[in-house]
Amino acid sequence: MKISAIPWAHYLGDRVITLGSTIVVLGIILSLVYPQQFATWDNFSQILLNLSIDTIVAVGMMILMIGGMFDLSVGSIVAFSGGLAAYLMYYHAVPVQVAVLAGLGGALLIGWINGYLIARAGINPMIQTLAMMGIVRGFALMLSGAGLQNFPWEYLILGQSKLLGIAMPIWYMLGIVLLFHVLVERSSFFRRYYFIGGNEKAARLSGIQVERMKIWAFVLSALLAGIAGILLSSRLGAALSTSGRGLELRVITAVILGGASLSGGQGRVMGAFLGALFMALINNALIIGRVSGYWQEVILGIILIAAVVLDQMLLHKVKTKHQTL
Amino acid sequence: MLELINISKFYPGVKALQQVSLCVIPGAIHAICGENGAGKSTLMNIIAGNVQPDEGSIRWQGEHIFITSARAAQDLGIGIVHQERSLAENLSIAENVFVEKAPRQRWGWIDRRALNQQTQQLLAELGLLQLSPQQLVSSLSPAQKQLIEIAKALAVAPKLLILDEPSSSLGEQETQLLFGLLQQLKLRGTAILYISHRMAEIFQIADQITVLKDGQSQGSYPAANLDHEKLIQLMVGRKLAQESFASFASKEVCLKIEQLRGVGFSDISFELYRGEILGLAGLIGAGRSELARALFGDQPIQTGTIELAGKAVQFKHPFDAIAAGLAYVPEERKNLGLFLDKSMLENIQSVFLHKQFWLNLEVPRIAEHYREKLRIKTPSLAQQVGLLSGGNQQKIVLAKWLATKPQVLIVDEPTQGIDIGAKVEIYQLLKQLSQEGIGILLISSELPELLLLADRIAVMQQGQIAGILPKEQASEAKIMQLATGQQIQSQ
Repeated sequence: MKISAIPWAHYLGDRVITLGSTIVVLGIILSLVYPQQFATWDNFSQILLNLSIDTIVAVGMMILMIGGMFDLSVGSIVAFSGGLAAYLMYYHAVPVQVAVLAGLGGALLIGWINGYLIARAGINPMIQTLAMMGIVRGFALMLSGAGLQNFPWEYLILGQSKLLGIAMPIWYMLGIVLLFHVLVERSSFFRRYYFIGGNEKAARLSGIQVERMKIWAFVLSALLAGIAGILLSSRLGAALSTSGRGLELRVITAVILGGASLSGGQGRVMGAFLGALFMALINNALIIGRVSGYWQEVILGIILIAAVVLDQMLLHKVKTKHQTL
Repeated sequence: MLELINISKFYPGVKALQQVSLCVIPGAIHAICGENGAGKSTLMNIIAGNVQPDEGSIRWQGEHIFITSARAAQDLGIGIVHQERSLAENLSIAENVFVEKAPRQRWGWIDRRALNQQTQQLLAELGLLQLSPQQLVSSLSPAQKQLIEIAKALAVAPKLLILDEPSSSLGEQETQLLFGLLQQLKLRGTAILYISHRMAEIFQIADQITVLKDGQSQGSYPAANLDHEKLIQLMVGRKLAQESFASFASKEVCLKIEQLRGVGFSDISFELYRGEILGLAGLIGAGRSELARALFGDQPIQTGTIELAGKAVQFKHPFDAIAAGLAYVPEERKNLGLFLDKSMLENIQSVFLHKQFWLNLEVPRIAEHYREKLRIKTPSLAQQVGLLSGGNQQKIVLAKWLATKPQVLIVDEPTQGIDIGAKVEIYQLLKQLSQEGIGILLISSELPELLLLADRIAVMQQGQIAGILPKEQASEAKIMQLATGQQIQSQ
């Protein structure tokens, strides 16, 4: 059989299409079942606001995973960057702009250390970022202790103001997703990650500076986590040392739902956004349906496994059809 | 011993095998030949129990049987050396060799002493005396790994031994060693099925030859009744013109190397002219690939100079080498040359990524150009290259590098594991490129290939150049003398 006989076949392999349509269908069902609670402006903005922090981190994680890497320290970086900015403002009355830049700079440094040790010293990403996750969490605890509050209003407007009736973190999220979507689809700089994830040795022999690219990916991921940390502490009006606990696994789940694979070479930035959106919708539905919070994690776990299994079955089918050309 | 009667296997839309019969007798070497896609692998998989035939029957020592699993085949006494490596890199040689049937003590503990002793014995038979059974497989060269793979099959003392392209990563010396071993096994009454692309080998060791073409048997012949030409005719169904090619070498030097030294080679000096094909011969481990990768900036160079078109250059990374006009088609194309899960278009694109920030929008046009020029058979540019045949994959690697418009092209074992039809096309292409003025450094372990294409042949031995032979003076015997370190006797 010819592949052209099943023109939709390659769409099955594109998670942005499959997940996107699942989200649309899920949205329609929820609007029909809970017209009063689900399909409201307030509920939608709440969903988007809640997923904005995760999504900003997920964009960086998606780029890492396309390149066959991942970063477990992002959750700690979220707490660290917010904590560092808060610490400087609270104890040293540093101007807001300087505090924000320091928070982002700290995140950047952590990302560079991760990337340098992984790419140049050859430490396994799992071990390096697991260790960094603990180290950075420790620093976050030292900085913010039981929590810091009373920020200047210039800091609070970063996460609490609205533009056209939509909260700022949502704007930041949309901007970051769109920017990186275009960059990853159109620039050869970001395209390189697909080749590094696909076959690192062949990528090197094709002239791609693999080590340098890996460092950039960790720096970018940490920087986005830093932005997320600043936004989160501003939105909450407090820097908590427990911020972003468990965020790394939630984000990796979203990214895998969005089409990345642990072996690398696959995924799209839009998928990271859709993965996070899908998880947020499920959560929202469970809350509206008054399902116990304990069940949410169980259900998300089951969905993740189901998505991966379904994907392999579909891919396998498409592949066997290819082979009989 | 083993008889296949009218075996057929159908996949949706493809008849992989049609009415193939085969009779293997103990104490004989039976060769199976055919182009890629002729059905050799399917046939092997049926005997190995991995695939069940749709029609036909199998007899083993006179009895009708069904080989339902790989385990069942093993229990019958069928040992298989697969083309794909099946070794666990992080285990020792001994553990790999005896993975199925490690000698046991009481209580079922593995008997380490017996394990090491028996492994040592097998290694000795394969001429690998320098290796210790405790050595990790990851520390071995590709050729040594291939031999360990064979040791693994021999460890279960098979009645029927199947070898699928065993020599594709072996050098001349190792291959001869393997043949000696096969002769011994034959004398002990083992039946041997030998699958290979290499004509010379087949005639050297086979007693019986069965030819497959498009899933059908073209008949079984005693090896004595066939010659090269007849065999090729049976395989491809047409005559193959083995013309000698003209030389396009100019007097203009495009690559000059002096006193180059790096890991695995030293004291390398030569000049490559525009339009010349310089062959690089030598045994496995002579340092040819190491030299190529150092030239391309992938491995460090310790001392010595490289001049490209008269200018001294230094490459810290393949990135620099590509910018200077070098291209490198590596050996092991699946591992080093291709992105198997990506499309042909993306594979071509891979070499355009390292310089500009935005994607090069010309790439689809370029890819289409080379698809036509190299006659790459793919349903579309979007086809995943992992699903294409070896010959087409190799053409894609070549296309990718030609797209960079190189001055110097290094090709490492360009025809390894691809069928005759594609081989000839690649020969013609390389000659055409040399006519266009590209200097080509051709590394090959197939001597006929070097003698056919190269204008001069440099022979490496233990990391050094043992001699450079002009085409007119080169012969297989002379190359082997240099490669093995014997003096050339003046006649």
